[in-house]
Parts: sequence; C-alpha cells; structure tokens
Amino acid sequence: MIIKALRWFVLVVAVLAMNFPVIATFVTSIKSARELSINPGLWIDQPTFDNYARALEVTDRLNIFGYLFNSLVAATIGTTLAILLSFPAAFAIARGDFGRRLLLPVVVNLRAVPLIIFAIPLYMMFQWMGLLDTQLGLGLILTIVNIPLALVILVNAISDTPIELDEAAKMDGAGTWQIMLGIIRPVVRPALVTTFIFGFITAWNEFLFGLMLTTNKAVPMTVGASFFFSASGGGIQWGMASAVMIVGALPPMLIGLLMYRQIFGSMTAGAVKG
Amino acid sequence: MEQTRRHEGVILTTPLVAFLLLFLGFPALVNLYYSVSNVGFETLRAPVLSGLGNYLAVFGDAGFWRANWFSLRFGIFTALAECGIGLFLAIFLAPLLAKRSWLMAPLMLPLMVAPAMVGLMYRLVLHEFAGPIPYYLYEWFRWTPAFLDVNSAFWTLAVVETLQWTPFAFLLFYMAYQAVPDDVRQAAALDGANGWQALWTIELPLMMPTIVIAFFVRFIDGFRVFDNVYTLTGSGPGGSTTSLSIYIYEAFFKQGAIGKAVAASVVLFVASFALLWGLNWVANRRRRA
Repeated sequence: MIIKALRWFVLVVAVLAMNFPVIATFVTSIKSARELSINPGLWIDQPTFDNYARALEVTDRLNIFGYLFNSLVAATIGTTLAILLSFPAAFAIARGDFGRRLLLPVVVNLRAVPLIIFAIPLYMMFQWMGLLDTQLGLGLILTIVNIPLALVILVNAISDTPIELDEAAKMDGAGTWQIMLGIIRPVVRPALVTTFIFGFITAWNEFLFGLMLTTNKAVPMTVGASFFFSASGGGIQWGMASAVMIVGALPPMLIGLLMYRQIFGSMTAGAVKG
Repeated sequence: MEQTRRHEGVILTTPLVAFLLLFLGFPALVNLYYSVSNVGFETLRAPVLSGLGNYLAVFGDAGFWRANWFSLRFGIFTALAECGIGLFLAIFLAPLLAKRSWLMAPLMLPLMVAPAMVGLMYRLVLHEFAGPIPYYLYEWFRWTPAFLDVNSAFWTLAVVETLQWTPFAFLLFYMAYQAVPDDVRQAAALDGANGWQALWTIELPLMMPTIVIAFFVRFIDGFRVFDNVYTLTGSGPGGSTTSLSIYIYEAFFKQGAIGKAVAASVVLFVASFALLWGLNWVANRRRRA
C-alpha cells in the first residue's frame, strides 16, 4: 500500500517536473497585466484571455498567423514528400531485398548525423536556387529530417506483411506496381498514418534550418516565437510572449495527446529495430 | 527474373537516392572543397584552393576545443542522467502503467514540444523578476541562484535538456521491460529469486542492448545540441555555452568565417561517421557472436 502511494507520488512529481515549462508558461499566459507585474507565482486571482487577443493581433513586424501557416505548409511538404520518397524504397528493401546492405543502414544512420554540417552548403545552394526564405525550401529540408524514421517504420511495416499476399496477387497477374499500390499500401496504412503524424510533429518542431534559411516570408512558428521576445523596445511582454508560446506549441501537443499510442510505437522504432 | 527484380529495385529506390544525393551528397562535396579553399561571402562562387589553412585555423582555435569540450560534457552528462532517471521510472512505475496506459500521455508530452520553444519557456521560468522558480526559491529560502551566469549555465541547460528528453529513454526502457518474457520471470521466482535479484540478474541484463542504444542516441543528440541552448542562453555569458553546433553557426553567420565553419563541419562529420561506424561494427559483431 505504501509502495503504491510512493509510485503515484513519483509519477506525479515526474509529470509536473517534466512538463513544468509548459505549465508555468500557460499560467503566465492567462494572467492579467496588473497581476503579471506583482505576482510571478503559479496562483492566479483573475484569469483572462487578453494576452491571447493581443498575441493574435497582426502587426507589420509580427504575424502569428503567418508563422503558423508557414509551419503548416512546410511541415506538410516535409512529411508528404518524405513518405512519397520512402515508400517505394521501403518496398524495394523489404520485398526485393534491394538496398538492404547499403541504402538502409546509410539512411538509418543519417538520423544520428548532426545535420548542421550540411547547413552551410545548403544555405549557399538555396541562395543560388532562389529557395531561401520559401516554404518549399524549408519543406525540402524537413523532408531530409524525416526520411530516416519514415524509411525504418515503412520497411518494418512492409516486412511484417505476409508475403503470401504478394504471391496471391502475382498469381492473378498483378505487376509490381499493382502489388505495391493496390495490395501493400492499404495494408500498411496504419504505418503510413503513424509516419505522417510523427513526421509532422518533428517537422513542426524543427528550429535550426528555420532559423538559417528563412528571414521574413517563410518564418516558421518556432523561429517566429523568439521574435516576440525582442519585439517591444522595453522589457519583454511576458503575458503576450507566453500566449504566443502556448499557441505555437499547441498543435504538436494536441496531436501527440490524441495519438500517443501510434507515436509511442514509432518513436521507439528507429532506436530499437534500426 | 533476378534481373527484373534488380531493375525494379533500381527504379523504386532512385527517387530517394537522387534526393539524398542532391541535398546531402552534393553539400558534403561542397563542404570538402570549401574546407580547403580561401572563401568569404564576396568570393562565395570563386573559392581559391588554399590547402589545409582552414583546418589549421580550426585546430588552433581555443574556442573550437572549448565547444568540443562543452558538447562532450553535455552529451555524456545528459545521456547518463536521462538513462538513469528513465530506467528508474520505467521499472518503478511499470505496475501503475500496465493497467492504465493513458498515463503514458502526460509522461511523453514533453517530447511533443519544440526544444527551441522549451528554451524560450525557461527564459520566463528562470527570469529573476517574472519567473516562478526564482520567486518561490526566494519566498521559501530567501535565496536564489543566478541560473544563467557563467558558472551555472551549463548545469541549468543540462537539467533543461534532461527534463525534456528523459521521457524518450523512459519509453524505450518501458518497452524493453515489458518485453521480458513472463516465463523467465516466473522461472526466477520459482528458483526463489526476490525482486531485487530478479532485477539485477535477469531483467537488467535482458534490457542491456536497449540501454546501450538509448545511451548513444541520447549522447549524440546531446552532443549536437542547438535549439534549446540557442534560445535560452545564445552562446552564453562569455561564450560559456557554445556547443559545437553553435560554434559552427556563429562562425558562419556572425563572423562570416566560412572556411573555418566548413572545416569544423567536416571535422564533426568525420567524427560522427567514425563513431557510427564503430557502433555498427560492434553491433554486427555481437549479432554474429
């Protein structure tokens, strides 16, 4: 009984400690201007949503809808393209045993390579191709970020699909393309969904390339949020900055809370089976 | 038959391979070329070969070694802390989680927040006037440390990183712990092993491959840390929190020292390649043994 209470205690402490920045930021975001200046604690007398109203205001310099939209577009490109490129390759690796010795290990290990080492040539390449500060350019980089895990998840999913399905289809005269798109794709749909969810969250949360490759038109939310910290000439407006951070962090958190089962499996896939 | 299969394999993998060659292979070559060239923002497209000067400049730069030292300490410390706490939580909380899997959701929530955003949030949390932590410390103890000064910035960042990424290690360990076969546990109990003995002699050895993998994954991520450090301390007071990633970023964007930044990138590339190659070699040997 005591040990059970102790387990609950540890659980609550761990959850509160690990989620503390989000909790404290949320509390700050619903404080009134008056309370912000006198009470840094976690207790609020009169919660208000004024800060959110101000954070959502569009000004010349700050446009939170723009940042959210840029993140949405770039993350969607980065996730969709990663799946489109990885799915046929995963099929070839799992079914044709093609690329298992070189392509798969190289791509899997990419997850562990610090991508900053490619940042400088990519910057120059983008400058030359006119991709700097575009949603497409950022989306292409997010594709690279997402490819390793997408390939691992899809190879595992296709390998787990019984080969008899392919053979039966082949008997009926189906070609490779029909097997891949007509038979395998519907069966591994859950893995495709998982890859999309996880890739989208990863892409939404990316920061380094957003910082380096965008300046104005294509700034994603993670980078845009920091603008609110240097916005006004005076001190930081903590209420508004907190509201911005909550709005910016909300999409991946909501997806994560709703889909934690799928993500749970995929987050560990790269590490356990790779 | 065999030939058509190869042919199809080539077609199916070509888009992925072409994409990777264009966006990673080509940049890698540019890196190599620029790292042995004399190049600035004015001569970006007309670099002049200059031998190993850039590498000598990097290896002779005390800041480069300091950044390496920061990244190494940061990677080792955070990986150890995350794996230690994660392992404890996975085993200690397993009885609660087995029946209530929804409890996983709040435990993995930190992984959903952008590290850059977490860094910004801690600017609020640790702020001397607006932050709740200094406020409560002062209320209760009449004292609060300067979390982000030269002496404590490293540890503050390490704790920030650890709190966010412990759930990752925890998830891996929880899966591995669940995967220990029940009959093995029962056999140990029949032989009279108590909980501790079973843990040390059966369960932990079975989880060891996962522990090793989690440690290296977290070490690599800690070593290359950028986002949360950049948004919380920048490069820190007096450059005290310059990780290797931040070193490369600043050399390029702030100093315009392209040759130096690129040479440092190549060094990091070679180092991470060597580490990964070593890891794979060890893993393959184990698999064969």
